[in-house]
Order: sequence, then structure tokens, then C-alpha cells
Amino acid sequence: MEAYINGLSVISPQNTFNNSDFLSEPVVYTTNYLSCIEPSYKEYLNPTLARRMARIIKMGIAASNICMKDANVAMPDAIITGTALGCLEDTEKFLWAIIENEEQFLTPTSFIQSTHNTVSAQIALQLKCMNYNFTYVHKGFSFESALLDSLMTIAEGEAQNVLTGAHDEMTDKYYKVCDRIGYWKKENVSTFDLINSKTNGSIAGEGAAFFMLGAQKGENVYAKIRGLKTIYKPESAAEIEKHINQLLAEKGLTINDIDVVLYGINGDVQYDHVYYNLKDGLLKNSSATYFKHLCGEYQTASSFAMWIAAMILKTQNIPHAILIGENKRKPIKNVLIYNTFLNIDHSLLLLSAC
Amino acid sequence: MDALIDKLKGEIIEQLNLEDVKKEDINNDAPLFGDGLGLDSIDALELIVLLEKNYGIKVANPQDGKKIFQSIRTMAEYIQANQK
Repeated sequence: MEAYINGLSVISPQNTFNNSDFLSEPVVYTTNYLSCIEPSYKEYLNPTLARRMARIIKMGIAASNICMKDANVAMPDAIITGTALGCLEDTEKFLWAIIENEEQFLTPTSFIQSTHNTVSAQIALQLKCMNYNFTYVHKGFSFESALLDSLMTIAEGEAQNVLTGAHDEMTDKYYKVCDRIGYWKKENVSTFDLINSKTNGSIAGEGAAFFMLGAQKGENVYAKIRGLKTIYKPESAAEIEKHINQLLAEKGLTINDIDVVLYGINGDVQYDHVYYNLKDGLLKNSSATYFKHLCGEYQTASSFAMWIAAMILKTQNIPHAILIGENKRKPIKNVLIYNTFLNIDHSLLLLSAC
Repeated sequence: MDALIDKLKGEIIEQLNLEDVKKEDINNDAPLFGDGLGLDSIDALELIVLLEKNYGIKVANPQDGKKIFQSIRTMAEYIQANQK
């Protein structure tokens, strides 16, 4: 199962949404709560409709809109998204109103917009797109599940162009709940110090990313998705390495063919050893890069990684902001993304240059 | 009546998230739905909840809605006539 990335867009805590700049001047944060830099929505949304939309819905629609223009595709054959938290702000608003008003006076808007599939549904409504529309909600595998369905839909010939995306938002309440669980660092860490952090927890993030996946190479093609693997709670480093070798063998590649690895290093001393085992072991000959210091940790952060990988392959440039050490390889033909959410959901994604 | 109309405009702008609309932009007699403010059926539900929550008035007969929500003035008149 393979597909071309013919267009993309990501709204993130960096200036990324219109693809004109590839992390040349990264925004440096000194807090543990990263929020997205949002575009002016008036360019992408009807103001009458936008007034009811929560932030994540606007982010999702704007990102999908930019992505479709980038790919020059007016109507996708399918819309497939992944999200762990859905439209959290509206869910909180709705639940809070239930408590505050003692289960009376419930207003319809936040209820209607609180479902996990609101973003993909709103995109379809705006486009008047009656095609296959699905949203996957599988915590750290949400984006990967959407991607898998997209690749299968293309492989089976049911679609030529699939709009695939992921979106998750951070809210004050969710940040506090996760803080109590121990997801976030107790001390503030600056963006470029995160990689050297030796304490528990990471920094919170969010984002909305969309990709136009095609069966055929488009005029603005970025990269080709070659393979995807998800691993639930691997028992050992050896098991992870086995999966990497399997994925590469299936594609007729070896470890030496991987030019760049994009790691989900997030500064959490409890789990970062997973990445370092690979970086200093099996994948030591590849250029090492990382991304979560720029977007923060969230369940669908691998979608931000896929944006970076596709941009690397198209521009043949690795921004200094993501490089660990030196770039060892040129030209860049193959990029492997390795990501884990809380050392539970692990995923491998292989992209190649076109 | 003028004070109630002014208060109602503020509540509607807040409840319906009419970001770019100011109180003075809303004509007291202009239609709320279709032309004028351009509200829709979801807004109608929001207005029904607003009446109940803020003024303790239940719109028992949905058929009355068309008359009540014709304009800001008709809403204010309905509130004045029915508020306990």
C-alpha cells in the first residue's frame, strides 16, 4: 500500500500553515503549553458559519482548505481523519453547562459540535462532499489509523484522492488534568533545551494537519508514503528493531537506505531511551532529527512529523531546528518516522522521495 | 422597553457569538431570520433556551416562535408580557 502526498498543510505552534517557510525561524517557547499559531480564518471560512465553530474546527477546516489548494484538488474521493480528543473545547463547554445549569437549558451548538467527527463532517458540508467520510479515535494511533484506512482505500481503487488529516487541541482544563497524571514537566523548559531535559514529563502541544494523498503523482508532489506499522506496547528494544527491519524488508530496503530518521523525542526521561536506543544503535548511520520540541506532545503529533518528512524530501533540506548532530546523507531518498505516545502506542512511517 | 431591548441585544450577540455585530448594528424592527441578522434554525433553538434561562419563559407552542422571534422588538414585547 503506497500513496503520493500531493498537497499538505499543518497549523501548529510554528509558522507552518502556508508551507512558504520550512522552519527557518522556529518560534522558541519557554512554557510547557504550546498553542497553535492560527491564520486569519476570514480567508478560509464563511463568517456566518465560523461564528459557531470552536478553534479546532476552524483550524481543521483552514488546514484542509490550504491542503486542497496546494494539491489542486477541488473534491476529494474520501475524507479520513484521526483525533484522540475530538472537539474538546465544545465537549467541555457542553458538559460544564450540564453541571452549571443542573441538566437544564442545554444549548444545541456546543452539543452538535462536540463530537469527534465534527471537523471531517464540517469539511464535507463546506465542500458538499457526499463521499466516504470517517474519523478514527484511537488515542496515540488515531492519525496512523486514518492513514492506514486512506492507504487501503487507495490500494483497493475506491479513491484516487483522499483528504487525510489529524487534529487535536489543548485546553486549560485538559492541560490541568494531564498535569495531575504527570504528563507535563513541573519546570518550564525552553524549546531547544527540551532534548537535554532529564526530568519526567513533556510539554503540551496541539495541531491540525491535512494531506492530499493520491494514487497518482500530482504536479506538486512532496513524497511517497511507502509503509506504515503500528506496534502496541512492544516488550523490548529488540521487538522494535524487528519491526523496523520487517518494514524495510517488505519494501526491498535495508537500514543503510534510511537517510533520515525523525524521532518523537519529547524530553521525557521515562521514555526517550526508546529513541536513543535506535539513534545510537540500529539507525546510527542515518541523520537524526526530532520534532516535538516544536509542536509539543499530543496524540496525533505524528501528523506534524509527516509534514516535516514530506517537506524534507521535497526541499532536500533539513532545517537546523530539527537536526541532532550533522546531516550525514545527501541526497535524501528515504525518511523514517519513529514515534511513540507514552511508550504505549508506537508507530513507524516510511516516506520516500519521488 | 428600551432598556430591555438593549439588554436583549447584548445577550443575543453573546449567546449566538455574533463576533462582528455591535448592538447599534441591530435594527429593532429588522427580521432576525433570513434577511437582517441572518439567523438560522440552530439559532432559533439557542434563542428559545435564552428566553427560558434568562427570563424564565417557556415557549410552549412552537408555532408561536415565528411571531415571537420576528424581531428584537417582538421578542422584547413577548418577554414584557410573559415575564413573571
